[in-house]
Order: sequence, then C-alpha cells, then structure tokens
Amino acid sequence: MSTNDQSAAATAEERIVRITVNGTAMSGIAEPRLLLHDFLRHELELTGTHAGCEHGVCGACTIRLNGEVVRSCIMFAVQADGASIETVEGMANNGVLHPIQVAFQEEHGLQCGFCTPGMLMATQTLLEENPDPSEDEIREYLSGNICRCTGYVGIVASVKSAAKKLSVIQSNANGKA
Amino acid sequence: MSTTPTESLNTGLNIQTMAEADDVLGRRKYIGMSVLRTEDPVFLTGRGKYTDDVHLPGMLHAAFLRSPYPHAKILSIDKTRALALDGVHAVYTEADFEPILGHFVTTVHREEVLTVDRPIMDSTVARYVGQPIAVVLADSRYLAEDGVDLIDIQWEPLEPVMDAEKALEPDSTLVREDLGTNNFAHIEFQRGDTEGLFEGAAHVFSKRFHHGRFMAAPLEPRGVIADWDVASDELVVWSSTQIPHLIRTFTAGPLGIAESKMRVIADHVGGGFGMKAHVFDEEALIPASSKLSGKPIKWIEDRYENLAASLHSKEMIIYLEAAVDKDGKFLAFKGHYIGVGGAWPAHPWTSLIDTLPAASLLPSIYDIQAVSTQIDAPLTNRCPSGAYRGVGWTPGHVARETFIDDIAREMEIDPAEIRLMNSIPDEPFVSVTGMKYDGGSYSASLRKTLEMIDYEGLRKKQAELLKEGRYLGIGISPYVEPTAWGSEVAKANGFAAEFFDAANVTVEPDGSITVTTGCHNHGQAHYTTLAQVAADTLGVSFESIRVIENDSSQAVYGTGTYASRTAVVAGGAIMRAGKEVREKIIRLAAHAMEVSPEDVDLADGIASVKGVPDKSMTMAELGFMSYYGGSSRVPGVEPALTSTRSYDPPETYSNGTIIAIVEVDVETGFVDLQHIACCEDCGTMLNPMVVDGQMVGAISHGIGGAMYEDLAYADNGQFLSASLMDYLYPSTTEVPHMEISHIETPSVVTEGGIKGMGESGNIAAGAACINAIADALSSFGKIEINKTPIGPSDVMDLIRGLRGAK
Amino acid sequence: MKPAAFKYVRAATVPEAASLLAEYGDEAKVLAGGQSLIPMMSMRLARPEVLVDIARIPGLNEIEANGVLTIGATTTQSAVIRSDVVSAFAPIIGVALGHVGHVGNRSRGTFGGTVAHADPASEMPAVLLALDAEIIATGPSGQRTIAVEDFFVTTFETALADDEVLTSIRLLAPTGNACWSFNEVARRHGDYALVGVAATAELDGAGKVTKARIALSGVSDTPVRVKEAEESLIGKTLSDGAKVAGEIVSSSIDPPGDFHATKQYRIEVAGAIVTRALNEMADQKGTR
Repeated sequence: MSTNDQSAAATAEERIVRITVNGTAMSGIAEPRLLLHDFLRHELELTGTHAGCEHGVCGACTIRLNGEVVRSCIMFAVQADGASIETVEGMANNGVLHPIQVAFQEEHGLQCGFCTPGMLMATQTLLEENPDPSEDEIREYLSGNICRCTGYVGIVASVKSAAKKLSVIQSNANGKA
Repeated sequence: MSTTPTESLNTGLNIQTMAEADDVLGRRKYIGMSVLRTEDPVFLTGRGKYTDDVHLPGMLHAAFLRSPYPHAKILSIDKTRALALDGVHAVYTEADFEPILGHFVTTVHREEVLTVDRPIMDSTVARYVGQPIAVVLADSRYLAEDGVDLIDIQWEPLEPVMDAEKALEPDSTLVREDLGTNNFAHIEFQRGDTEGLFEGAAHVFSKRFHHGRFMAAPLEPRGVIADWDVASDELVVWSSTQIPHLIRTFTAGPLGIAESKMRVIADHVGGGFGMKAHVFDEEALIPASSKLSGKPIKWIEDRYENLAASLHSKEMIIYLEAAVDKDGKFLAFKGHYIGVGGAWPAHPWTSLIDTLPAASLLPSIYDIQAVSTQIDAPLTNRCPSGAYRGVGWTPGHVARETFIDDIAREMEIDPAEIRLMNSIPDEPFVSVTGMKYDGGSYSASLRKTLEMIDYEGLRKKQAELLKEGRYLGIGISPYVEPTAWGSEVAKANGFAAEFFDAANVTVEPDGSITVTTGCHNHGQAHYTTLAQVAADTLGVSFESIRVIENDSSQAVYGTGTYASRTAVVAGGAIMRAGKEVREKIIRLAAHAMEVSPEDVDLADGIASVKGVPDKSMTMAELGFMSYYGGSSRVPGVEPALTSTRSYDPPETYSNGTIIAIVEVDVETGFVDLQHIACCEDCGTMLNPMVVDGQMVGAISHGIGGAMYEDLAYADNGQFLSASLMDYLYPSTTEVPHMEISHIETPSVVTEGGIKGMGESGNIAAGAACINAIADALSSFGKIEINKTPIGPSDVMDLIRGLRGAK
Repeated sequence: MKPAAFKYVRAATVPEAASLLAEYGDEAKVLAGGQSLIPMMSMRLARPEVLVDIARIPGLNEIEANGVLTIGATTTQSAVIRSDVVSAFAPIIGVALGHVGHVGNRSRGTFGGTVAHADPASEMPAVLLALDAEIIATGPSGQRTIAVEDFFVTTFETALADDEVLTSIRLLAPTGNACWSFNEVARRHGDYALVGVAATAELDGAGKVTKARIALSGVSDTPVRVKEAEESLIGKTLSDGAKVAGEIVSSSIDPPGDFHATKQYRIEVAGAIVTRALNEMADQKGTR
C-alpha cells in the first residue's frame, strides 16, 4: 500500500500539458478544469475545432485522439496529456484538400461550416474503420454530430463520395506496389 | 384620417414591376449552374473566423448572471464577494449602465400595437428564466462564471404568467405593470362576406391547434466582442449576426455613438435561421461594458443561454373554422391566432412576426372567397419570441394543413384531391388576404410530388400493410412561401415598412470585380451565387468576382439576410448595378477601340468588336485604363467603373409541395419517418445545388419542430429544455433521405424572375409529418392531431384516445 | 458553461486511488471517461472538490474470459463493443452499448463509468441486472464483490463507499441453453431510453423456460427486475409466455412521468417491449 506522502498530490495548480497535434509536439498551460477544446482553441490557437454545446451532445468539438473520435468539450486538457491529437487543421496537405474535404465541397456537405471540422474528423475515422459503409452505417456513425444546415443529405452523399475517392486512391496505390 | 390599417397596406405604390436587367438571363453562363461553393475551402480547412475565434490583446471575458426565476422582484444585489475574487475586474448591473446606455423601444408601427420601452438590462424585475440581471468581467470565462456564482441576490418570487389564454383575461397577473395589459396587440382583419358564407355553408368545421415552441438553435451560439476605443471614441463590434448594419443602426442610438464611428463585423456565422436577425440585449450590453471598463470584452453565449435566453419562436394557439360546400369546396376561413409571447417583444420584429404572417397566409394555395382573422399577442413569463425560419407561416401552415386533412377524412375525400380541387390556378393570383402571388405551380407541384412517390401505388401498399398490422402514413403539405422581405412583402404580411437594400459593383484596376451588399452570408453561399449573378450580368468570368458582405465598414449598407430575401433583393440590386457597370465598360472599350458601343460585346471578360474577333480588350486592360488611362478614357464621363444601386422588389412567392411517409409502431408510439419527397418552385434558380441544400436543411427543421424540438416550461415557469439532452435536435438517424425535384416558374415581377426560397421546408415539412402520423393512425378512428411536437408518448395518447372512443 | 475549479490527481494504482478517496471523502469523485461527470460539472450541477483520475491505472482496462468474464472498469465502451471475447460470452452487452450515446462518447466513456454513474435510464445497469453480474469494488481495506441486485441504490447512487473504486464487472458463464434480448424506445438514437428492457433466459431441451431475468430501465430510480413476470415464464416457451409477462410488467411497475413521456406511456410501453423482447429472444442464442 502506498502512503499519502508517496501519492501524487491533488492540486488545482496550473500544469504543463504536452500533446502531439497533427504530428507536431506542442505544449501549453492548463489548470485542471480547462476543457480540452478551450486548450486547443485558446491555448494552442487551433480554432478550427469548435464548441457548440459544451455538454457532449452536438459533436462540433469532435477531434481524433489516439485515432479515436472524441468530443473535446467533455474532456479536460490534463486528461489528454501525452496523447496524439488530430484536428481539422491537419487534414489538408500544404493547401491541397484531402479527398474527404473535396467530397464535402463537391456534394454540398456544408453550409455555415460550423459543424464541418467535427464532421470531417468523424468521417475520417469512420472510413478508416469501415472503408465502404452503407447509408445506414454512415447515419449511425455520424448520429452524434449535429448539423443544423444541411439536413444531412449532402453530408451522407459526401461520405459516400469520399469512400469512393479513397478506395480509388487505395487501389491505385496497391496497383503500383 | 382613419383608414383601417389593413387597407393602408398593399397600396402597390412601391411596386417596381419593370425589371431593368431583363437581358441578363439571355446571356447567362453561370446562373442556373450548380457551381461549387467558393467559400468551402476556408471552412473545410478550419480557417473560418467565427466570433469566438477572434482574440484581442487585453480582452476580458463576460458572463451573465441570469434569473433562475420566471418572475421575481430583485430586492438587493451584493457584488462584494464577486469583486473580491482574484481575476474578476467588474460587475455591472442596470445602475452601472444607466448613465451611458439608453433603452430599447420596441413596437410595430400600427395603431393596434403597444410600445414597450425598457432598460436594456433590467436588474429590478426578472420576467423569464434566463433574463440577464448582471454581468461579470474577468480574465477568463471560467473566472467570470466563478464571479457570477459569488453575486449575492435577494429575490422575491412573483406569480408567473404562463398560460397565454389566461394572460388575456382582465384579472390576470401582469408581466409588465407599465403596459397595464398583457396583450401587446389585438389586430383584426376581414375580407369578403365571411359570416354569410359560414351561414350558408353545407359544412362548418373547427379546430384548436397548439403549435409548439421551438427555435433556430444554430450550432454556433451567439457571441459578441466589443472594443470601444475611448481615445478615438470608435467602436468595433464583432457579433454572430445576420444583420451587421441593423445592429449598428439599432444600438448606436442607445450607446450614444455615431453610426459612422461604429463598425460591426460578422465574418463567419455558424447558422442564424432568423434568430440572429434580431438585435439582442447583449449586443448593446457588451459594447457598453467595453466603454465602462475601457477594455475589449468578449461574450460567447453558451448552450444553456442559447436555449433559455436567446429567442424562442412559433408557439401559437390557433382556432380555425372553415365553411365548406357539399362537395368539399372551401368557401371561407376564420382564424384566431394567439401568439405565446415572452416577457417583452423581441427587438425589433416583436412576437407579431409569428402571428401577423400566420394570419396573412391563411388562404395559402386555396381559392376561398372570404377570410376573417384575429390576432392576440399575450406576454408571458417566457423567453422573448421572434423570427425563426418560416416565422409564423409555420404554425399557421401546420394548423391549416392538419385541419384540411381532418376535413378530408370527415368528408371522405382523398387529402390530395381536396387540395387539388381547392387550389388556385398556376397563374398570378391575388389571394383573399391581398397577397399578390406572382405565378407558380401551386397544383402542378402537388401533382408532381404525388408522382414522385407513386401515390396510388403507395395507397395500395398502405392497405396491404394494414392487413399485416403495420401502419403506414402519407402526409401531404403544399405551400406558398412569401419571400424577398422588402417593403411590399412586409406590408402583405401586416408590417408597414419602407426600406431598400443595395449593391455596389466596382471594377478594380486589375480588372477584377468587387461586389458588396449588406445581405449577410452565413451559409447560404452568397459568395458563390451572387458572384454567378454578377458574372452573368457583367459578362465576365465567375472567378474574377469577389463578394463582400460581412463587415459594415466594407460593404454597402443593407438590412441583412433573413426572410428568403437575398437572392431576389441583393441579386436584383447586383443586376441593376452590374448592368450600369457593363454599359460603362462597353463604352470605355468602344472608345478605346474606336468603334461605337453597339458594336462591342462583353463576354467572359473580353470586350470584343462584333465581327472583328482579333479586335478586343481584356478586363485587365479596361480596368487599368479606367483608373490610369488618362486621355484614352471617355471624355466628359466619370471614369470609375462602379455603380451602387438599390432594389426593393415587388411581392414574390415561391411554392411547392412536401410529402412525408411514416410508419408508426402502435405498440411503442415510435414514428419511423421513412421518406420525404418535395417538388419546389422558386422561379429562376441561381444554383440548383444550393437550392436543394436550403430545401433539405429547412425540411430537417420542420421535422424537428413536428416531432422532436420543444422549449417546454413547467406550469410554475421553470424551463425544462435547458440542455441538448432535453432539447432534441434531429440527427442523421432521425432525418431520412429526401428527394427534391423542381419546377421553375420565373417570377413575372422580379429582376431575373428570381423568387426567394429557404424557409418553406420549415413551413411545410412539419405539417407533412403530422399529417402522415394522423394518416397512419386513421384506421383506429376519427383522429385529429391538435398539437406539436408529437413524440412517442403523444402517439400513444392518441391511440389510447381512439381506442377509448370506440 | 465552465466547470468550477477543482483539484486533480492522477492515480497510478488502485490502492493509491482508494487512499486518495479515503483522504478526501465525499469531496472527491472518481474520474474515468468523464462523459457524464464533465457535462454535469460544466453546468455546475456537480462541483467535486477533487477528481481522482483512474483512467491510466495499468491493468484496469482489460477484458478476460476464463470461465467467468471480467471487464476492467476503465475499458472504454468502444473497446467492449469491439471485443470478440465479450460478444462471444455475452452478446447483449455490445448490442446494448451501441445505444449508449454516440461513437464520440463511447470512445472515452468507460464500462465501469456507465455502471457506477447509476443513471436509471441508462442501458448498462439494466443489462447487468439481467445478466446477474457481480460488481468488484476495491477500497483501502481490499476488494469486495457486490451482487448487482444490491449495487444500485437510487438515482446516481450506488453501494460503493466513498473510498471505493469500481474496478471490474464479472459475469458467470451460462449454465444452460441461454438466450437474451434487448429492446428500448428512445426519443432519438443514442438518447437515454424512455423505457428499455434487457432480458435473459435459459431454456430446457423442449424450449421451455427454466430461468428468466427481466430488467427494465427508465421506470424507477434504479433498474428494476420484475420477478413475477420472470416466474410467469417458467415452464412455458418464450412465445407462449411473452404476452402475459408483458402484462404483468405493465401492472407491476410504477414509473415516473416527465415531459418526454407520461407515466401511463411508460407503463404501457414497458409491457409491450417486454413482450416484444421475449418474442425475439428465441432467435438470439448465446450466453445470457
């Protein structure tokens, strides 16, 4: 049994949180109560991730944390210490849109753009887990991401189109290999 | 002078029937094409600049103390403990604002309407759960909320006024003592021999319908940043608004600043849907806080504030009566519209933005001979209510269309048939309330939507499934949407107003084109669609156009984007200004190439001499020449290739039909909304992809209002829908696949034949869903649905009621 | 909507967590995935002084099947859904977890958290009740096993002492021809159920019920079993007994009403979905 003086102490002090964001090691200061979305947006100045409800329902704050879809509004920054995080800012490559982003533009998968970063993060994860999802699977997977503009029609079409684009890229890559 | 207000409206004085830019469609290259949105890459890469993305040096963060009571007197406010907290800089209440901030005075200019004059922060009486009572400024939002928790307030709870009908009774408790009544307005309207037609009718039907309270709830809540430079006395405000110029106009007065010294920026806005077309208290309180503190102040609304204390909409108690002849022909309608208002009228539209449009559109597509309507506007101890996508057309439509289904069932007439037999012709038509429909496909769109779903086949399938104990329902909802809110359509809906919007079109020295309008873009794709209009009007490439709208100091003055107006109003203004600029470009090119202007054509950004293909000039050459061409410019002519023109269009109406197909699980009350089909007609389409997007997006709102979203209050005034666990947005699993088709009947009165669109989905989809649910349950007995939203518990109530009635 | 300040500590071991909880008493709360706790803190409905983060304690997120199935408390709900071991042992768990929030909640939300949170409308408490699970709790004086029947005390309250950590959930292997069913009605996919049912049964060679457990969510301040309905099934085939069992459920529960569903609704629909669940059950073989 450990004794109290060997235990970590519980404090409200600010601390340094180190995370890898889009492949780059970053760090910032966080008191324990600082929510991860606030840490990303205001401490690391990555404002692409949005806050829509701050109680874990709307999905606007969706990021990828160690490869999984996570709501950054109901996670403290201190919980993410050491994690690898991906946000919308890391998706395009030197200004060249990712095929998922292209699909969202072509299929009118966004209007006001506020849900879009979260939708893209969720879509990317879905297509990694399931490269050829059915419409029902797409709708089930994205059901935690609210869009108030599109009625989801363009979003579902975008995900289907993105799946096709990615499978063509994959099969071309396999052909070359 | 004592004309009745209704007769003073719709005089037609302001109608501009002569379209000036009628040659644009003849050379169109982009209008009507599904051009991909140029605004998308910014959003797709996370580079959008929403209000909370703006950070200013030295900025403090604001949090409001909001009333937990629906109605209470505030006996004392003690800031001591809050101010003692490290990181809290200030706590302001009404008394602090009083010396520097005027009031909001809200009314609609009609003699039947009262005026509410109130301090923008009232720290003496709370009148709804969520009312701002004090504001705390601190180093972070976290600390500001800590400060709010440390303000000590003594409340004396008062009896809340929650029942809107009882609020109208003479002995009711008053929401506002200063008004002497709870009824903000009582308005009556009468056309034709309603009483005579009711007396002589073979059938008279009636219905009471309680439409639910729901709201825009844009995914980005509101947010305001104000930076009042006390040295220069200049104010910059960032706000998540649809109406940057109107924010300036309505707040500059109370703030005591010249509009010329005030700049409102609303760069990217995460959805508005009409809610953000209001002037909110916070839009004055945050600038005033900046002035008092000398610091830039940021306030970002959280979701609780958005749900409880931004703006509610559409709740209405509606009494309808219909006189119908023996064959099912509608003769006359009566409607009494009681809008369930909040603690005060939303600024500036008031709660009448629901009831007046609801009453004005009572006839919809139906050819009736007489109508009489009444409106009451009780204040209650709820969040103020105002405009949201489809305004009061939505509750009015849901009540009317469910009523028509009730009548059809009662008379054993097919619900499609009863609508077709009562529909107005597809030509221009003046409705009995005086609305001037500019031609459409009122019955053609209904027929086309019936074809889309194979109506007859589906009815057979429905009968087959019923034998298996499965309950399929089909709900039909044809609509007319008044669009292009300008002087004329406002008056047609009972709002006396005269105003205009403008566009500026300017050729830059390099030949690129800057277009500005005051019609704010927050998702509607204006930077694409209005560039399509400008490119075709001028005869230049789409890529050479840049549209600017979202900054009051960069864009020409305009009233903003709301009420399906921008395609018509800004599009028309751009056509008018663009036509003038095109003529100037051609004149300059003709002079430079030494031919007459009639011999010059301008297409794809090249001015060429007709019949002499190698004699041409580029826009880059012409642009540079216009600025720096000296004597090669046209002598005696103003050299700038620019024009600002305004447009205030005549009434214009889009139309269409929405059909919903549901299957109801009669053991659990669960409604499986399986499909939505829609045929819409918005005249000349600028960009069909964007039209489809507006349609399906608005339909998802209609589904929400009919089946999920409810801003519920307990009888004691407590607010029950305080989080998104209880306020239910429909998601991917609730909104079905939708099929949208089009009929294009260009307006006979607007520039380019453009009609507005974007709200009809929220006007008409709810009625389609409710009618489908009723249709599915009609085998249980005489069903009548008289409220929204309808969830599983309501469905079981209906079934239980029908089984009990047998 | 920002949480009040609190002290945070990340526990390295279960004993350390227990000793921290003992030190801070009822001022402390365990933080695992935080999917329910953090929203309540952001709304300032919960204001713990101290959060003891157990998410990184080694070994607490493991799944083992060794005659009995043990699911470590901090195993994420997503990991449980993905686990072949769990789906082979008790397929009802993965199916029911699919109704817990959305993918972005389940990636962080833990299996132990959805049990210890003790929301009577949530799925997993009812499922564990139907499965006759055991809750393993560890405190300063060591480990104890709590029968699921004794675990849920009232809304958001369990039999865990202030200084105890829920460390794992244990299921015994099935003993006979077992089958299961899960059914719920929610306003929207992913919402807490208006009413839900988790049911398990064991059948004899003739398909007659020898043992049954029917647990409901959303009808009381804890998940509830309806034993009279369970007993009514004994000796009958599931399809023969389904209707009567549903009727017994409707007549024996006393659910709350709220603005999403009336009490009457929950009474009727609980019975209807129990009947439905029992009718579907024969096709859903598998352990419990």
